[in-house]
Amino acid sequence: MFAIGFLGVILRKNTLVLFMSLELMLNAVNLALVAFSRYNNTMDGNLFVFFIITVAAAEVAVGLAIIVALYRKRQTVMVDELKALEN
Amino acid sequence: MEATNSLLLVLFAPLTAACLIAFFCRQRPQAAIALSLSAAGVIFIASLMATLQFTRLGDLSASMEWLRLGDFVVNMGLFLDNTAATMLMMVSFVGLLIHVFSVGYMRGDAATARFFGGLSIFMFSMLGIVLADNLVMLFVFWELVGFSSYMLIGHYIAKDEAAQASKKAFIVNRVGDLGFLLGIVFAYWHFGTTELTELAALIELNPALINGTIAALLMCGFIGKSAQFPLHVWLPDAMAGPTPVSALIHAATMVAAGVYFLIRIVCLFPVELLPSIAWLGTGVALYAGFCAFAQSDIKRILAYSTLSQLGYMAAVFGLGYPGLALFHLITHAFFKALLFLGAGSVIHGCHHEQNIFKMGGLFRKMPMTSGTFLIGLLALCGVYGLSGFYSKDAILIAAGLHSNLIFFLLVLGALLTAGYMGRLFWIAFLGRPNSAAAENAHESGPAMLLPLIILALLSIAGGWLNLWPLGLGEIIQDDQARLHASVAYDAMHKKVVIAGSVACLVGLLLALLFYRMGAQKDRLQTLAAPVYAFLESRLWFDELYDFYVQKVQQRVALLLSFLDVSILKGLCMRGSAGLVALVSLLLRMLHTGNLHNYVAWFLAGVLLLSAFVFACA
Repeated sequence: MFAIGFLGVILRKNTLVLFMSLELMLNAVNLALVAFSRYNNTMDGNLFVFFIITVAAAEVAVGLAIIVALYRKRQTVMVDELKALEN
Repeated sequence: MEATNSLLLVLFAPLTAACLIAFFCRQRPQAAIALSLSAAGVIFIASLMATLQFTRLGDLSASMEWLRLGDFVVNMGLFLDNTAATMLMMVSFVGLLIHVFSVGYMRGDAATARFFGGLSIFMFSMLGIVLADNLVMLFVFWELVGFSSYMLIGHYIAKDEAAQASKKAFIVNRVGDLGFLLGIVFAYWHFGTTELTELAALIELNPALINGTIAALLMCGFIGKSAQFPLHVWLPDAMAGPTPVSALIHAATMVAAGVYFLIRIVCLFPVELLPSIAWLGTGVALYAGFCAFAQSDIKRILAYSTLSQLGYMAAVFGLGYPGLALFHLITHAFFKALLFLGAGSVIHGCHHEQNIFKMGGLFRKMPMTSGTFLIGLLALCGVYGLSGFYSKDAILIAAGLHSNLIFFLLVLGALLTAGYMGRLFWIAFLGRPNSAAAENAHESGPAMLLPLIILALLSIAGGWLNLWPLGLGEIIQDDQARLHASVAYDAMHKKVVIAGSVACLVGLLLALLFYRMGAQKDRLQTLAAPVYAFLESRLWFDELYDFYVQKVQQRVALLLSFLDVSILKGLCMRGSAGLVALVSLLLRMLHTGNLHNYVAWFLAGVLLLSAFVFACA
């Protein structure tokens, strides 16, 4: 699942898809943490998962807002066309 | 007023005048003249007062701390003994006369204010040398004198010759001053003090302390300032400055400061070193005498004459009679200042013509100038009864009592002196005018004639030691008494009077017969061109130094410059800057703006890091 996400980040060009792939990677990590937590019989991993979910939610809100703003300004969400910092 | 205060006034009056002129009077020549002239007057009056106090109270010294570096303390102090007082009176008096003369001579010059400011700063520095009580202070003023000399030689800045000459004088003097400075350092290291009085006291207690190296190093300063061999090359060139400057600095006072310095530190000289000074002086006296025959510029002839007379002073100092050196210094200051001022008057009258072959017949046009010039000339040649006779006579007697060879060489020097001065006088002042400038020559104004007349009187009377006021010149009388007490004095005295007078008359007559009155060409040049060319070459010293500077020093400088450019500038500075630029260039290539590239680099980084971690584990 992490690999799929990573490949997605590397290969796809649409910012929205990239964003989804990033989320996929986060959730892959979550899953791994929960699994290890269960395997080791500790609560440490689960604790981290909650934090990650919270941060991811905030991050998604900010990220999507940026993408929307970007689209409004540039009329595109393709990474290839978003190379320059200035206009 | 206390004597110390008078001395402080002597020092600070010219300094104040110089500062005021430099800051406020650059465009106001009249104010500058007034300031400088009144400073000179104040110096003379204050010197007189200080000397009067001195005759009542005896030696005077006062000093205060100037600089403290750990245990090393430098004092600024004044020390007035009989020698210093004699010198002080001479410098202040001749200085005053030359200031008066300058007012006439510099009329109409564009930079009069700068000139008078320079004169004032020179007076300050020179009097500082006269009054300094320790070697460090002496050195400070010594350098100030060098600076003011540089400034005044280069007065006509538009003339290339003057600019070159001022640089030459300054640089040649630095060579000698390096030795002087080293000498001071060694003296402090060896004796633990640089105070003149303490040095004398230490050596009196323990004569074994005398060190030849220190004396020789300090002598380097004298050689530079007094233009002795091998640093004599600057003085003839220094004649590019205005004539009053040549009279004041390069004849009467500054070059004599070297001799005065020797007299001040005479206690430091070991007996073994003295003969070498005597030979040095004798050599210079002869060498300069010969050189003067191949010069046609009136001032350069006088410059070589100054060199030769400084040689006499060094010779008699080397024979162990510092007092007689001071005697000749004082009389020389009078008659040589007179000669230079006379030459200045001539140059002024002939509209800045300096070549003697273009003068001729000046005696009729400028009778006062010519008359006083003649008196100075006769005094220089040592005609019986004039001031030069007494001092030169004493020198010759001292030489005769110690070394026959030096005696004969110095008599030959006297013959040469009479010869070249005769040549100058017959050609420039008698006969018929040889150029339009000489044809239209006019007598100078009273501001220029008055100093000439006073100096002429002094040149006549300066030799009568008994008449010197205020008991000045004690050291001279001591040395004369020592001379009189010698066993062979009477015989030698007769011999010297005869030899000196004969040399003088023969020199003057031979010059008259050989060169003829008012000649247009140098007969020596037409009759014996190689001899003239040899004399004109002055033993190729200038060429030798040029060769050294261009071929040796320039090469070394080029090598150093190459090292500087290639290693310091090229490798260290440009190299490091280039390295940073290169790195930044590479890093800039990474910054593409493409998100996928960044992610790829990120992946590479993670892989590298984990590989590293695994390798370590």
